[in-house]
Amino acid sequence: MEKRIKVSVLLLLCAFLLMAGMFLHEEGNPDETEMDDYFIENGQVETGSNNIVAAIVFDYRGLDTLGEASVLFAAAIGVLIVLGATKNE
Amino acid sequence: MSKEMSPIVKNVACVLAIPIIIFGLYIILHGHLTPGGGFPGGAIMASLVALFLIAFGTGWAKKINKGILSWGESIGLALFGLLAFLGLGTSFFNNFLANSNSLFGMSIPFGPNQGFLWTGGTIPLMNIAVGLEVFAALSIIIPIMFSSDESSKEGKK
Amino acid sequence: MIFEFLQAALLLGIVAAGFLAVKSEDLLKAVIFLAAMSLLLTSQFYLFQAPDVAIAEAAVGVGLSTAIFVITIKKTERWENGKKN
Repeated sequence: MEKRIKVSVLLLLCAFLLMAGMFLHEEGNPDETEMDDYFIENGQVETGSNNIVAAIVFDYRGLDTLGEASVLFAAAIGVLIVLGATKNE
Repeated sequence: MSKEMSPIVKNVACVLAIPIIIFGLYIILHGHLTPGGGFPGGAIMASLVALFLIAFGTGWAKKINKGILSWGESIGLALFGLLAFLGLGTSFFNNFLANSNSLFGMSIPFGPNQGFLWTGGTIPLMNIAVGLEVFAALSIIIPIMFSSDESSKEGKK
Repeated sequence: MIFEFLQAALLLGIVAAGFLAVKSEDLLKAVIFLAAMSLLLTSQFYLFQAPDVAIAEAAVGVGLSTAIFVITIKKTERWENGKKN
């Protein structure tokens, strides 16, 4: 009985993923293109950087990167506090 | 428990050190021209620390100066935040150095070009800051996880 | 046409590597399968024209996490459920 439930859930998941794969968007062809067009047309000249991804990550959406760096900083400090202190005893 | 590995592994790790460092620095410094940036470059350079730990064992892990790495981590994050705040005349994270003919301030026309290193404004500086921060943070985390078990055992004795 | 075949082969390889990583009793083998899955995922990202994500995945998924898992296995046990130990 339990195995049957597991198999049916797995089949349901497979069917869902197959459906999602079949109705996938064509690559490089999003619905809303206003913001993408702005970045593609003005990003290189405004920031002077050839890599538009770097321009978005460090300039247009820099706050996200600041949060990411802070998370890594907090993780390192946490590891240093929790595990690094056992050495000095 | 985790002692040194064979001389072959140690020698190969030593030979691989220079290419890994150069590749990581390339990924960081060319972050505004080619795919990559501070985070992957720092992770590549930190994977060298993991390789050395596996090859040389706990004895090498105790030689790492965690004070300097902690300072590097703090300086990286502070530099990143400072560069973000310096553009506050217009907005937070404003790229005030781009197209200004000063530090990394060369302006480029729209379209494909061969890639000039002296462009990008604050983006290369932020790449360097984030690369330093990620490298130092990961090089703190991995040796501590590697050597914490044995040091706590020694403490119990 | 060849692009679709390559993509399907990569996706099937990802599924196979993940299945083998879950199924293998030797945890070191499972970590290697996980790294192989990450490598195939990197090529998939590259085929989707996202080289930035591919480089981040290659550095973190293939390099760092494999090293951390190997260190963890060195600290604990190599075999699942304490077999052959």
